[in-house]
Amino acid sequence: MKPFSSFRASWFYVSFLAFFLFFTGCSSDAELDTLEPQGPSAQAIDSLSNPIFIIAGIVLLLVVGGTIYMWRFRSDHSDEEFPTQIHGNLKLEILWTIIPGLILAGVAVFTLITLAEINSTEDNAMALSVKGETVSWEPEVVVVGQQWWWEYRYYMNGLEDVDLSDARNLPPADIVTSTQMVIPTGEEIELKILSRDVIHSHWIPALNGKKDAVPGRVHPWKIEADEPGVYFGQCTEFCGLSHSRMRMQAVAMEPIDFQNWINQQMQPASNPVSETAKQGQETFTSLCTRCHVVNGLNDETSIGADLVSNAAPNLTHFMSRTTYAGGIFNLYEPDGSIDRSQLEAWLRNSPDEKPAYAQGRRGMPNMGLDEKQIDDIVAYLQTLGTRPSSEIILATEVE
Amino acid sequence: MTQTMEPSSLETSNGENSHRPLGVYTRPKGGGGWRDWVTTVDHKKIGILYGAAALLFFVIGGIEALLIRLQLATPDGTVLGADTYNQVYTMHGVTMIFLAAMPLAAAFANYLIPLQIGARDVAFPRLNAMSFWVFLAGGIFINLSWLLGGAPDGGWFAYAPNTGIVFSPSHGMDFYALGLQITGIASLVSGINLTVTIFNMRAPGMTLFKMPVFTWMMLVVQLLLVFAMPVIAVALFLLTFSRLFGATFFTPELGGDPLLWQHLFWIFGHPEVYILVLPAFGIISEVIPTFSRKPIFGYPFMVFSGIAIGFMGWGVWAHHMFVSGIGPVSVAAFSLSTMFIAVPTGVKILNWMATMWGGRIKFSAAMLFAIGVVSMFTIGGLSGVTHSVAPADTQQTDTYYIVAHFHYVIFGGIIFGLFSGFYFWWPKIFGHKLSEKMGILNFWVMLVGFNLTFGPMHILGLQGMSRRIDTYSPGFGFEAWNLVVTIGSFIIALSVLIFLINVITSARNARGRPPIGPDPWDARSLEWMTPNPTPVHNFDEIPIVESLDEFWHRKYGSDEDGKIVRVASAEEVCQDGSAEGVHLPSPSYWPLVFAIGLPFIGLGLIYSLWLCVFGGALALMGLYAWVFEPVDDPDVDHHEPQKEDVSD
Repeated sequence: MKPFSSFRASWFYVSFLAFFLFFTGCSSDAELDTLEPQGPSAQAIDSLSNPIFIIAGIVLLLVVGGTIYMWRFRSDHSDEEFPTQIHGNLKLEILWTIIPGLILAGVAVFTLITLAEINSTEDNAMALSVKGETVSWEPEVVVVGQQWWWEYRYYMNGLEDVDLSDARNLPPADIVTSTQMVIPTGEEIELKILSRDVIHSHWIPALNGKKDAVPGRVHPWKIEADEPGVYFGQCTEFCGLSHSRMRMQAVAMEPIDFQNWINQQMQPASNPVSETAKQGQETFTSLCTRCHVVNGLNDETSIGADLVSNAAPNLTHFMSRTTYAGGIFNLYEPDGSIDRSQLEAWLRNSPDEKPAYAQGRRGMPNMGLDEKQIDDIVAYLQTLGTRPSSEIILATEVE
Repeated sequence: MTQTMEPSSLETSNGENSHRPLGVYTRPKGGGGWRDWVTTVDHKKIGILYGAAALLFFVIGGIEALLIRLQLATPDGTVLGADTYNQVYTMHGVTMIFLAAMPLAAAFANYLIPLQIGARDVAFPRLNAMSFWVFLAGGIFINLSWLLGGAPDGGWFAYAPNTGIVFSPSHGMDFYALGLQITGIASLVSGINLTVTIFNMRAPGMTLFKMPVFTWMMLVVQLLLVFAMPVIAVALFLLTFSRLFGATFFTPELGGDPLLWQHLFWIFGHPEVYILVLPAFGIISEVIPTFSRKPIFGYPFMVFSGIAIGFMGWGVWAHHMFVSGIGPVSVAAFSLSTMFIAVPTGVKILNWMATMWGGRIKFSAAMLFAIGVVSMFTIGGLSGVTHSVAPADTQQTDTYYIVAHFHYVIFGGIIFGLFSGFYFWWPKIFGHKLSEKMGILNFWVMLVGFNLTFGPMHILGLQGMSRRIDTYSPGFGFEAWNLVVTIGSFIIALSVLIFLINVITSARNARGRPPIGPDPWDARSLEWMTPNPTPVHNFDEIPIVESLDEFWHRKYGSDEDGKIVRVASAEEVCQDGSAEGVHLPSPSYWPLVFAIGLPFIGLGLIYSLWLCVFGGALALMGLYAWVFEPVDDPDVDHHEPQKEDVSD
């Protein structure tokens, strides 16, 4: 081949630059970025895919460059000149069958190694104090998807005796939270992923790939965070109307903070003190407990959550989470105060804030609350749980 | 293998053609105008009908795509509500795959296969007409849902149980299941028809390995259709019974399994990818040698890699399910099989490049689109390899990275290929070229729009943007690229508009002029031996085939130095279309009548079983009359029916 002329060389560099920018362009401030792994599984995937991106990029440049190079052979067909009529070349055919085959075989080996790695589990356990007793907790979280939010259930005595076969009627858990999964850093967390209605997919890109939540099945998966922080996620299997509004976060804490979180979450709700909050509790008891549970107030929903999924978020520690409504609204302003207007709007007419088929018993219906009732309920909700640290509140803010 | 069978001999009944069981069953006499079109059994007219209908659906699907892009142009978009968005994106997929890309391929297959193998028509001309009308009936039926309470809203992939009656209470998914069942009948019948045609009706001397690559790829496609359509038919029946009659195939509490749907859908769905892309591979395998003035490089390898893709395409379906919970061993197996299907595909790419290499390339519009396929499909193929790597796919699947990937395959591979075919065969079909100038403009605008639309989707996907979301919040880094994507999509729309204007202005400019002479491109295969546009009887005389690229070899030989010299002009080699006494199959009403019955059966299943009775009666009447109509109508004069077929 002739050496590149300066014109062709500049094209080569431009395309290489474009290719480089293409992949560095991904590492902006994207909360769901797949190329900024923060845990071992995500890192294993990242270090497997990076060289493959590079190989693919080289092949791409060769082929696209090759097609551009064909300009050299241009002709307007005004004459009847014919090039040498070559019908094929067996050696070349064998060569370009075998070489890609060998490259792919190499890729296959590393794929299988990584596949084994992300499917293996380690027998880790952490000592936690639960209700004054020290237990050895194998970090496991039961993840339950439903239209259009995620529930996280913690069974502090392990899952051996817990029957997960019916996601719509799970045994009572020690801790039930929603939209935010709290995990200790440096520990491999085993997830058991379930669904109460349709297929969803649980995905925290910084911590690992995704896994579908399929009704009737228990899907094991694992995540692990190296550093404390809030890691964003999004349902990635189309699950109906508000699929785009089904988000979640993993909140990773140092083990000591995680112990504190456990202690707080194990507390049932106490009765409110202020008059408005008392009023709110009354309204809550008459309307909201049809679907929602507040431990200490109603341990079961009054009519069994009247929903297709048979579940609504447990609100015992509502204030300890920074998002609600499937993770689409922030509960707190960056300064730590409550974003009241959004919460009130949600209570006033939730289907207006987040599309749902409330009439089809999927999603929170418009409860027809008047402004007084809304004020009362907001006051009551503020008594449920403690405000998380300002680091977490700030980390929940996008941008 | 080289035995030939004229379609006319299938349709002729030894002089007893005046026998009529009942007076009503006369074959239509034509009479010109629209009657010719609705009763036609001519593979060329049917091909044109397929093309016209599919282009219409292509425009509809494109408008749906633009609506999607308007909604996603900015964060928290409000152009479409969530519900409408779900219907629009579902119908975009359904329309583009089942009502645009597949029938466009069918258009080329119908028009060109009989011509490329030197036949008068397909094996079963009335079945061919039925395939078209049934396809059109199915397409209209699915789109009726827009007017009858809402289009399907469960995605073209329709994962259970989200498509169940509880989660999708409108009738949209019923229209989806029944409509695709109807179009599936069309594809299946057409697959059998064209398979029989290729195997049985080749001109004397045309062995399988003297068939053009286009016909070869189409043969693989027809066989894939024959085996894949029954699988989706089963899946759709299960869905229909679940929705309409309370069956529980996908309900875990009652012993069903949602993954059953996924397996059935993708066992169809992955071969479907090759059903879509192999026709485009076939088209550019004709275009590239013609405009490079070289024979296709490695013909047997082109054929065998196509066959290999056809076989291996059945063993990769679960790569759509790497995160569905099929277990690590299955994931590993399907990961490896998916990687290695890249090998035969790579062989094709390299053979096309080797065909061009050292050639004398005319960068016509058709050639530019073909080169577009070689490079753009490669991008789709390579991103495909990146997610055959199953661990990486756990990050990539169901993000915009996948949307980017399959649009590089489907748009970059298939749509570019089909446009290449339009520009190449337009003079064959309509007797005039499309404007080359506008065609080249068409190509560059489409190339730019295409890459602006789907290139940034790779980035969006790796940045974590999920698929099938009707909106996204600001702050995730999605804003800028989504705006670029939307701008790109409108540039694509502009390029399609340029094409449509080209079609109209080229036709207008050609009006009143004699049709273009033979062989406008210095082409290579048999279809160019007939005049342009092709006369109704195709060949005056069925050619005896001696080599691959028969037409080219009749024009050129080599002198004693081995230099290529012309031995005959195109005018000398081409037939002049003046044959008389060619016997052709008679037109028929009944394929159309049968096809009209099917949507009524569908509507009946949804609304009232009485409509089923009506639709069923209509369909049965169509079939009954079809069987009992005379094989030929003695009153209709097809080029002097008294004479025997000239090719005999």
